[in-house]
Amino acid sequence: MPSPSSPLACLATSGVQVAIGPFLVRVRSDLNGVHEYLHHLYGDFQVAAGEGGHFDIAVVSSRGVRRWVRPQANLVVNGERPFLPLPGKLAGAGFEWSLNWCVGNQAPRWVAVHAAVVERGGRALILSAESGAGKSTLCAALALNGWRLFSDEFALIDPDTGRLTPLPRPVSLKNASIEIIRGRGADVVFGPQGVDIEGARFVHMKPPVQSVRRGLEDARPAWVILPRWVTGRPTTLEPLPKAHALLRMTDQSFNYNHLGTKGFACVADLVRQCDCYTLEYSDLDDVLIRLESLASS
Amino acid sequence: MPHVNVAPDYEVLARVLRDPTTIDRLSPEAFSRALDAAQRARLLGWLVEQVRAGHVPAAPPEWLRDRLVTVDALTTGYERAVRWEIDRLRRAFLDTGQMWVLLKGAGYIAAGLPPGRGRRVADIDILVPRADLGRVEQILQDNGWEFPELNAYDNRYYREWMHELPPMVHRDRRSVVDVHHGILPRTSRLKPAPDRLLQQAETLGDGVRVLAPAHIVLHAAAHLFHDGEIAGAIRDLVDLDQLLRWFGRDERFWKRLVEETPAMDLARPLYYALRYSHRWFGTPVPDAVTAAMRTWAPPAPVRRLMDVLVDGAMMGTTGHSASASVFALYVRSHWLKMPPFLVVRHLLRKSLQRD
Repeated sequence: MPSPSSPLACLATSGVQVAIGPFLVRVRSDLNGVHEYLHHLYGDFQVAAGEGGHFDIAVVSSRGVRRWVRPQANLVVNGERPFLPLPGKLAGAGFEWSLNWCVGNQAPRWVAVHAAVVERGGRALILSAESGAGKSTLCAALALNGWRLFSDEFALIDPDTGRLTPLPRPVSLKNASIEIIRGRGADVVFGPQGVDIEGARFVHMKPPVQSVRRGLEDARPAWVILPRWVTGRPTTLEPLPKAHALLRMTDQSFNYNHLGTKGFACVADLVRQCDCYTLEYSDLDDVLIRLESLASS
Repeated sequence: MPHVNVAPDYEVLARVLRDPTTIDRLSPEAFSRALDAAQRARLLGWLVEQVRAGHVPAAPPEWLRDRLVTVDALTTGYERAVRWEIDRLRRAFLDTGQMWVLLKGAGYIAAGLPPGRGRRVADIDILVPRADLGRVEQILQDNGWEFPELNAYDNRYYREWMHELPPMVHRDRRSVVDVHHGILPRTSRLKPAPDRLLQQAETLGDGVRVLAPAHIVLHAAAHLFHDGEIAGAIRDLVDLDQLLRWFGRDERFWKRLVEETPAMDLARPLYYALRYSHRWFGTPVPDAVTAAMRTWAPPAPVRRLMDVLVDGAMMGTTGHSASASVFALYVRSHWLKMPPFLVVRHLLRKSLQRD
């Protein structure tokens, strides 16, 4: 437990404000799991006592006997409860899932596309994949190999500039990718391992400190890549027609339709200025080399 | 162990609703809580209108400015989505010669009425002649709307006792249409005549029809004070205030309202609508209408009980007294909808289904 002078001391009362990319997030929780989660994984973020914010996320225990017997974490987001209560052990992860819900549903100031993003030399690489296809694994491996972790869950497009806004946060890793990434970074910090509602093992990886410090530095979208991990497959990077890339990006967007024509034009402009590829691979190191040569070309 | 208070702040919302100029003096945090409460009460569109009219806390920080852009985009998107669905319905009925009239939220948006601005509408409600129900079902089914699986009880509840078909869901867009053949259930004690509504409906530029102004107000009153489950009381009463102010600029509206109210058998609901809209929002009501209203009033003890229940429900679901009010009004709405034995059977059945 940190000292009482830590800003996290207010977590269970008036709450704290955490600066996460462009968002000021108000967090309140009476659960130790959330306190420890923020302490370990958000140690490099600016945290202050305060009440306002883009989003108001509360992760609170159930009252009565549920506080002691199989404790629960209730997620309250801007006064709404979009989720069923979680087991108390998943409280820290519940904060991340609530934040995902906020960014996806409550932030049409930006066009939000479900994707991982890394950056190098001012140019951003967008990784869009089905769940389980290895997007976060590749994102974490790139972040440990010279790329800046830009965002693990969302490509946030600013419709006024067409540029990408960073949202550095802990990276969610599942099942076998947990061991793969553990093996690649000796000094990387991980949150507690849990089992999610679908039965998958997961951990959150603490974002690199440089990524957090540069959390307000935007970037130009340069590549859209649809990666897929396939057993035994040699690294295959093939151009993807832009029309396909556009369909994929709109399909993966949570909110472009909220912005009407402006939202569509924003995604279309992004695809227009990107080189688009599909990527199949089985050897992570080989992919890192291929993407590095792409970035230096 | 501290207790984290996560209840939405309906009190700050209620203050803002009664006097939007108070927004200017709110702290950014308090205004942010009003936005949350407004979203819960489905009044975000109303609050965004106040922001557009210049009511914002002084010196808003960046996070609040972003939130204002966000809620503006959200409410614009809600309204756009409804217009799109209305257009899909218009196309489905095009060249069929079928009479259909938009009700409630979708009607407000189509007619450009103030409560339609930035409105979030879950279901599109339409009114059709009862004799045409089969034909309307067929037209909608041909255009992609389907009945989801219902158990036999729910199906019977709708078909035998209610004034609407079970909701129809579009197979691709998952949007919902409720087809009504009346504005109160068939088993209800009041018997407003749907024919008058259909005959006096007004046609808009694109061929879409909405109810006549007096009927729009009567329907909103019936919905809140007879038919509805009063959980959304704040929003419904704000609608009534806005509709009465908007239509009320024309003297002929009030004359029609006084004529149509007894003709539609909705004297009591309209009495409550005018009483509580005036009581909460100071809605101007002409003297002649107030005089006519007196004959529609309930006995004094009933009126006093309603005052307590409605004020409680208006404050939303905070605290026990409010939920008791909401529950009492929920039971009351069923009491008015059905004969007593049906109420008991229906509520018992519903409570068992919930578990």
